[in-house]
This record gives sequence, structure tokens and C-alpha cells, in this order.
Amino acid sequence: MRLGVAGPVGTGKSTLIATLCRELAAELSIAVVTNDIYTDEDARLLRAAGVLPVERIHAVETGACPHTAIRDDVTPNLLAIEDMEAKFTPLDLVIVESGGDNLTATFSPALADAQIFCLDVAGGGDVARKGGPGIERADLLVVNKTDLAPHVNVDAEAMVADAQRARDGLPVLALSQRDDASVQRLADWVRTTLTGYRAGSHIARDPGPMAPHSHGDGEPHTHDDGVTHAHA
Amino acid sequence: MSGEFGALLLSDARLPIGGHAYSAGLEPGLLDGMSATDIPRYLEARLRTVGFVEAAAAVLAHRTVTRDPDGLGTVHDALLARTPSAPARQVSAMLGRGLYRLGTRLWPDHPAITALRGLGNAPQRPVAFGVVAAAMNLDAEHIARSSLYDDAQTVASAALKLAPADPVDVVGWVLAAEPTISRLVSEAVAEWTPDTLPSVTAPQIEVWSLDHKHRTRRIFVA
Repeated sequence: MRLGVAGPVGTGKSTLIATLCRELAAELSIAVVTNDIYTDEDARLLRAAGVLPVERIHAVETGACPHTAIRDDVTPNLLAIEDMEAKFTPLDLVIVESGGDNLTATFSPALADAQIFCLDVAGGGDVARKGGPGIERADLLVVNKTDLAPHVNVDAEAMVADAQRARDGLPVLALSQRDDASVQRLADWVRTTLTGYRAGSHIARDPGPMAPHSHGDGEPHTHDDGVTHAHA
Repeated sequence: MSGEFGALLLSDARLPIGGHAYSAGLEPGLLDGMSATDIPRYLEARLRTVGFVEAAAAVLAHRTVTRDPDGLGTVHDALLARTPSAPARQVSAMLGRGLYRLGTRLWPDHPAITALRGLGNAPQRPVAFGVVAAAMNLDAEHIARSSLYDDAQTVASAALKLAPADPVDVVGWVLAAEPTISRLVSEAVAEWTPDTLPSVTAPQIEVWSLDHKHRTRRIFVA
């Protein structure tokens, strides 16, 4: 399964991936592909974390635009993943990290089977309310660094509640590296999603940037991929 | 498919072959102190050297794969001999992989693609370009023009991320290069052989590519 991790700069994507590798490397064969504007800084951080053999971490350069690399032209990422798959077959999980982009950053379903969007409380309590395709429709939204909430004057519970309202029932996970129970919930979500993917019940969905729109009858409808979307 | 339509596809930056990570050597030049006002001259200089050699190699790859697919490896070697910079070869292989992936997915049984597969999965970009062009029925002139146009547009679009410029002015640079491109097209379609393939060099671009390989804070891969 290919798992995408997107979200703005500094929200903890690389740390989240390091945590997943630490929690799951004993039970799953994992590789990581990072996307960076400035060469391979995220890849180096992960290599330095010592959570995976360095040859299982590959950096893709994005030509200034991480969003293009994960969304519009996924070729360099697909080539990197295919190389990893050829080298370390069989892989259970390939985690693809987007360079920090913006609230609309989403992976093409051609690249990622499931995706996590990562926010943090330090980015401001109103970020979840602002919405955006990543926040609203990623398979999992993580509200990270909840332990920092008192220090940045953010009500973490309200932020999670905002996120839940924006996501119409899709899961939201409050995460802190200092709260082991939350880390376990994150690892369990990946395990459950992987199980669903293997059983064929998890289908890659496109959280992409379809704008809300209405039709003549004003009725919501379901698209071929089974996703019901909001209507203006 | 009509060759005209194929030429449009091959000239379109939206073709998913990974071109967005490549500045056609512009970033290395700017980082070395080249002035942004020199970008149009850089674009011209590239076309007359690297761009011309690549266009001629693409035309030769196309002819070879159409007439004698077994000869493709010799064409590939001739191009490598004209690409002394290892980083320039690597980035050409990266772009070639994108084209290879496209070709093997869309025309897996085409004889030209079969010959390309014989080179391994990372052919140099001009060879892959000529082969994919064969699968799309381009003629030599379309191939040369698409290849040169792509080089010019790569410099132009990278410039917008690297230097202050109005996008309309950048379009003007590409338009201004059109007479050069047209002249080079007519030369690139000549009956080249692997031995006579042009070898016009751009030593400064090669040196810049070597420097760029070791930079840690670059936006483009080359």
C-alpha cells in the first residue's frame, strides 16, 4: 500500500513518518519516498532518525513545487516507488511524504492508495475551520503536537471538533509524540487501513480539488468513485 | 495518430514525464552569477549547442528505430559520447525514464518501443524522445522542432521560478528564439549517422552542471 502524508510546513510530517516507521518496522516491510523543494532535507532527517535502513529512504526533487510532484505529474514519485519495490520486494508499505505545501495539497490516487493530512495546533486554532481539500477529504486528518496547545493559546479539543465538522464523519486523530496512546491509535489506523487495502475493501479515493458545485436539480449525488461531495 | 497531434503531445509540459524538476541548466547558471537579463541569450546558446545536438540525436534515433531497430544502441552510445558531464547524463536518463515509462505503457508492443526496452529502463532523453515519436508517427521535422521547443520552454518556465520576470515577457523570449529554432530544425533533419552526429559543445553549461550536482539548496535537479 502507498500511503501519502501531506500538510503545511512544520506540522510534523517527517516526525510522524519516523514514528510510524519506529512502530511498524518490526511487523511490516517499509520504504519511504520524500518530496522536497530543497533537495533531500526531509530524507536526511529520516535517515538520521535511524528508524529505517538508509537505502529504504529516497528523496525526489520537485522542481520548486511539491504539489506538482504529488498531484499533477507524479512520474518522478512513481519511478522512485517502482525502484524501491523492485529492490526490496515484497514491500508492505511505501510512505510518500509531500513537501510542506498548503491546505489544498492532496496526492493523486495514481500515486497514493491512502493519505494522511497533517496539521498542528501551533499553526493556529482556526486552520481546521479554513478547510481545503486536504483537510476535508484526506483519509485521516492528524491534529499534531496537541501537547503544545496550552503554550500557543489554542484549544486543541475545539480544533479537533472543527476538523470533525469540516470532514463530515471522516476520522480525525489528535496526536502528540508525548502521548503514547495517541501514537498507538495512529499505528492502528495504518494497520486497519492496510488490512482493508489488502482485502480490497479500502479503495483509493481522490480528495482532489473539485470545487463545490450545484446541478439543475440541486440534489447531492454520488460520483462513480462512491464519494458524495458537498454542493454549493 | 497523426504526427502533428503527436508533436503537440510531446511539446506539452503537462505530459507526465517529470520535466517539472528540470531547468535545462538555467538554475546552475544563475547560481553561478549569470545575470537574469542574460536569460534570453542563455536560451539561444542552449538551443545552438545542447538543444541542437539533442534534436539531431532524436531525429537519428527515430530514423534508426524505423529502419534498423538493432542500431539504436549505437545511436545511444554516440549521444553519450557527446554528453561528457555525468550529471547531465543522469538528468537526461531521468527524463528518458519518464518517456520510457510513457512509451512502454501506451505502446508496449510497438517495434520501436521494443528496441528502446533493449537499452534498459533509463535511456537518454533524446533517444527515448525519438523512439516515442516513432510510436506516435512524427516525422523528422516535427521531432526536431518539438525537441528544440521543449528545451526553450524548459528554460523559460524555470526562469519564472528563479528570477523576477513577467510571464508574458518570458513568452516573448521563446517567440524571439523561433528563427533560431527553425534554422536548427532544418539542420537537425539532415541524414546523420552515429559517427557524424553533431557534437557542438557548451563547456560552460557542462561545468555548471557539475557544480550543481553538489549544491545542497537547489530547486531544480539540474
